[in-house]
Amino acid sequence: MKFEVHLDSVTGKTKHIVDLEKDGSSYKVSLDGQPVPADVILAAPNAVSVILNGTAFEIHIAPSLDGTYKLQTGPHEFQADVRDPRAWRGRKAGALEAEGRQQIVAPMPGKVIRLLVNAGDHVEAGQGLIVVEAMKMQNEIRSPKKGKVERLQAKEGQAVNAGDILAWVD
Amino acid sequence: MFRKVLIANRGEIAVRVLRACREMGIPSVCVYSEVDRTALHIRLADEAYCIGPAPSRESYLRIDRLIDVARRSNCDAIHPGYGFLAENPALPRACTDVGITFIGPSPETMELMGSKTAGKQLARRADVPTVPGTDDPIDTPDEAQSIARNMGYPVVLKAVAGGGGKGMRVITDDEAFPSAWRDASSEALNAFGDPRVFLEKYLDSPRHIEIQIFADAHGRVVSLGERECSIQRRHQKVIEEAPSTVVTPELRRKMGEAAVRLARAGGYVNAGTVEFLVDANLNFYFLEVNTRLQVEHPVTEQVTGLDLVKLQIAIAAGARLPFAWETITPRGHAMEVRLYAEDPDNNFFPCPGKILARRIATGPGIRLDEGVYRGWVVPLEYDPLLSKLIAWGNSREETLARLRRALDEYTITGIRTNVSLFRRILAEPDFLRGDIHTKWLDELLARPRPPAVPPRPETEAAAAIAAAYWESIQPSGSSTAQIPSPSSRWKLDGRRSQLDRQP
Repeated sequence: MKFEVHLDSVTGKTKHIVDLEKDGSSYKVSLDGQPVPADVILAAPNAVSVILNGTAFEIHIAPSLDGTYKLQTGPHEFQADVRDPRAWRGRKAGALEAEGRQQIVAPMPGKVIRLLVNAGDHVEAGQGLIVVEAMKMQNEIRSPKKGKVERLQAKEGQAVNAGDILAWVD
Repeated sequence: MFRKVLIANRGEIAVRVLRACREMGIPSVCVYSEVDRTALHIRLADEAYCIGPAPSRESYLRIDRLIDVARRSNCDAIHPGYGFLAENPALPRACTDVGITFIGPSPETMELMGSKTAGKQLARRADVPTVPGTDDPIDTPDEAQSIARNMGYPVVLKAVAGGGGKGMRVITDDEAFPSAWRDASSEALNAFGDPRVFLEKYLDSPRHIEIQIFADAHGRVVSLGERECSIQRRHQKVIEEAPSTVVTPELRRKMGEAAVRLARAGGYVNAGTVEFLVDANLNFYFLEVNTRLQVEHPVTEQVTGLDLVKLQIAIAAGARLPFAWETITPRGHAMEVRLYAEDPDNNFFPCPGKILARRIATGPGIRLDEGVYRGWVVPLEYDPLLSKLIAWGNSREETLARLRRALDEYTITGIRTNVSLFRRILAEPDFLRGDIHTKWLDELLARPRPPAVPPRPETEAAAAIAAAYWESIQPSGSSTAQIPSPSSRWKLDGRRSQLDRQP
């Protein structure tokens, strides 16, 4: 399977094509068209172990609100935007867009301070839906896709926990 | 010994006290607010009771509810931990009223030693050096100036009614005195409606060094040596170590004796900490007394081999201190860092949230005191302290190497932590030399950060491979995995056949 990986770190932005081909219980890996001697496994929850040409890396991965991943290894941090071939079909103008009915959940405990849309509104991918405040910081929660706000569960002033469903977009 | 102990706290300190009780074979009772139902101290508890909603005013600060739980669960002692009610004399008073032992000093001692002004007066009576100054307002500028000359510059003028730096002037030489006097008193008048000022010796870049004391109810008071706590961010301690790099055996003896004198003068019983400011010439001045266990107590435990919490419980139960204070000399070196759920890149804003994964630091010379676990959501209602990572070794160098190694091992995924702050401090030559003072960290953070070490190309390649692999193992359409409401079976069937066409 081919992936387009956009990495962002202190050294700037780079793009890599990673091809992972299942080979028994492991993978044949090629990076930017070149086969590389890499062994990659899931070592623990949210921790990927990569042994690249004998050098061992443990990379800790957490999803971000915007659908990218936050990677950490030692003192280094990367933001990775991975474009999956499975999602390429319906993509417009290079933006990664979710498909199907999407649940919008609170990413952190906090308080809903503003609703930016109403149930039934048509929204664009990336459009702000709801503003949640946590520790005096306001976070706009955006729509992962173009579609219609099916249901708006959140109410202004409501306290929410991480994982609470705020709305659905279809 | 006690029948049962109520732990009137939460987080890592509740876990710490619970462990001490368990080692002593004493059953314990934990309390929790509604958001803390899943907290680690409750998972580990023998008995647990909810004491109210999330805001601490309605739960952890409710003396009536704590006393009620203690009585219902048949406790005969309460350990307050630190923070919350630990220094509130109303809790020991309420305990006395119902015949429960408070594990700490008496309410009278708390009032006498806990307040800054009362503590300073007691220190003077006990012949403990305080920052030289007048305390009382001075009437005329001439009188003030002659006091300043006798005291020696730099001095600082402070508003009697003051606070927040208003009406405060640091004066470095005699010539600047008259204008500083005018500025300070007019500023004090504008800010507080009271122009009176007093004079204190100004300590330039002092260290914060504190003495751990212990006193039993039979008149024995001991000093367990010092902790160096000069690494502070806006007056909050960030790193603590023992011994201090500047404290000689002679200074340790003098500071220890002063702290013991003060504790005796105040009739102190149980664990306490006497905080001092230490200037460049190693003169020490009394700052204040903390009438409780400190966050940084593990540092003293590591270099003395004592368990301070068990000692607290034993002393509250009437036990005698089992040693003469001369026998306690620090062995080796210990250092603690306080890991917080906060974002060092965003002004240290608290970042509560769910801990997706953790890799824990262990191995030689490492201790982790904490109240967190994988899958737990750090609540936003309380202090976001996650873990205290403590390293010890035979020398300061070995301790630093172990701490660095442990900070590399310890990773938390899902929330931001201040770990990068410690990486930065532990690379600073001043810190490594022990050349620090209470404003050192604030000055460091005001300077531009050294450029981050760029990742090597292999690291970047590994990151790209890991990201692609991670994506490949996510369940297909994971964000849409929830079962859609069956609004239309036609729609569902259509979707299913679409999925079947996937290669």
